[in-house]
Amino acid sequence: MAARELALTALLLLGVSLVVFVILNLSPGDPFSVLLEGQAPGHAARASVHEALGVPTTWYGRYLAWLGNIARGNLGTSIRTGVPVAGEIARAGPNTLYLTLGSLLVTLLLAVPVALYSASRAAGALARGLRLAVYLVSAVPVFWLGYVVIYLFIHRFGVFPLLSGSAEPARHGWLYGLLPIVVLGVANGTVSEVTRHLRGELGRVLTEDYIRTARAKGAPVWRHAFKEGFLLPMTEMIASKIPFVIGGAIIVEQVFNWPGLGRMVWQAAQDRDFPVIMGIALVAAAFVRLASLLRAVIYAGVNPRTATD
Amino acid sequence: MRRYRESTGEVAERSERSRWRAATLTDRAAIGYGLLVVGLVAVSYVLGAVGWLPDDPSRMDMARLNAPPGAGHLLGTDFLGRDILSRLIVGIQAYFLPGLLAVAISLALGITGAPAIASIIAGKIQFLRQKSFIEAAHVLGLPTRVIVAKHILWYNCAPLLIIQATLGMGEAILVETSLSYLGFGVQEPTASWGNMVQAGANYFFHGKFWPSTAPALAILGTILGFHLLGDGLNRLLEPKSAS
Repeated sequence: MAARELALTALLLLGVSLVVFVILNLSPGDPFSVLLEGQAPGHAARASVHEALGVPTTWYGRYLAWLGNIARGNLGTSIRTGVPVAGEIARAGPNTLYLTLGSLLVTLLLAVPVALYSASRAAGALARGLRLAVYLVSAVPVFWLGYVVIYLFIHRFGVFPLLSGSAEPARHGWLYGLLPIVVLGVANGTVSEVTRHLRGELGRVLTEDYIRTARAKGAPVWRHAFKEGFLLPMTEMIASKIPFVIGGAIIVEQVFNWPGLGRMVWQAAQDRDFPVIMGIALVAAAFVRLASLLRAVIYAGVNPRTATD
Repeated sequence: MRRYRESTGEVAERSERSRWRAATLTDRAAIGYGLLVVGLVAVSYVLGAVGWLPDDPSRMDMARLNAPPGAGHLLGTDFLGRDILSRLIVGIQAYFLPGLLAVAISLALGITGAPAIASIIAGKIQFLRQKSFIEAAHVLGLPTRVIVAKHILWYNCAPLLIIQATLGMGEAILVETSLSYLGFGVQEPTASWGNMVQAGANYFFHGKFWPSTAPALAILGTILGFHLLGDGLNRLLEPKSAS
């Protein structure tokens, strides 16, 4: 079982890397013309750069070379800066992890109370109002919300200094770190679906026979409904919404000048810095895969029958 | 047309009309707003495609940069004095057909959201197979493929597909606006809602909110409409989804 999942993961990452590599090679521009920018490079100049950097001229040659390095645990070096990609990812990765996990928490803090409240029997006008608010919030474009927050907190009220990347420790630094997390958590576009799914599943479970039995016995209902009505839908939503949170993180890091993988990959895309893009794509795919493995583990824990296949 | 619905263990018949009548006011409002948005987007798409616009979306009016909404430019102008309303209408081109295509592919073949949709439909088929009208169709001697295609997929899963398509379109708009915001989609000077927000960013921080906010509100209102329509239809057509 574990070996099979591991093999599947490796296959998935291989597929992702191949697709990203092909897309990069099909899109206009390559890192070497960025290096030779402004020099009107001829064919000979290109060939000499390829040779000087020891890069195969065909795309599959370059892919196989990259793959060979990966097999030896080497993510390569950035073409733009010459710095090892692995080190850069290790440096910026924690920032992005902090941002994505933090904003996932914010999303859940918004969605769960609304879902629980509107799944309970007391649901009325207030629950409808809350649900509408949740829909409204999910439709807000995250970049625009970022502008509004930056304008209010930095330009209008002056709570934070204008630049966050300076060497001296910024005033209210830790608080400034909370802004992008809250913005991404609120406006990553998943709050309404998390609420809807959780509310639907919980509502369905609460009408099941075993809950009626529990109620009749006077046993605590929430303890019986917890696994199927809360844990499973939560796991499902977290695992399936992680790609959206990662996508939102690229935007939010851009808007807030947050030194994470999202800004790094955006910059690398501008420079056509293929090794950096490939490395980050690999890390992101592994992260998404990890979330779905976690979901499988939790499902198997709740319902051992699903573990057999 | 009649559909079958299970309630308290018995299969009951309900017509479309009574379903709409039984819907809550909130659901009706949600579906009404959603249909309004879908209609507006579709009409605007056609207007943009044939070029019936209030103004040329690339004509610069240097006398009126970042103008607020008013006479002459109904929704104001951007940082180059271009008419925002015209650019919003033209910007629909950026996601309309790609979005439809993405939704169609994911429904038919199954690339993006397909595992989710496929499992929903599989569950639904499992549920329907035990129903007596399917048994009746078998007894009447209809071939299995006709039963699956017509009685299960068309009569009973069509609403499900419409709902998924509606929600999928909202997702497609989110993806397109994000990409063009980041500069990976439609490029200036061609308009898309995402790059319009981005183009107005510098002016936003100097108090000229409108050029960024207008396209942002367009995104907000449209995605909201698709979500409300999808979920409203879901509650109307699939009450207490099959377990």
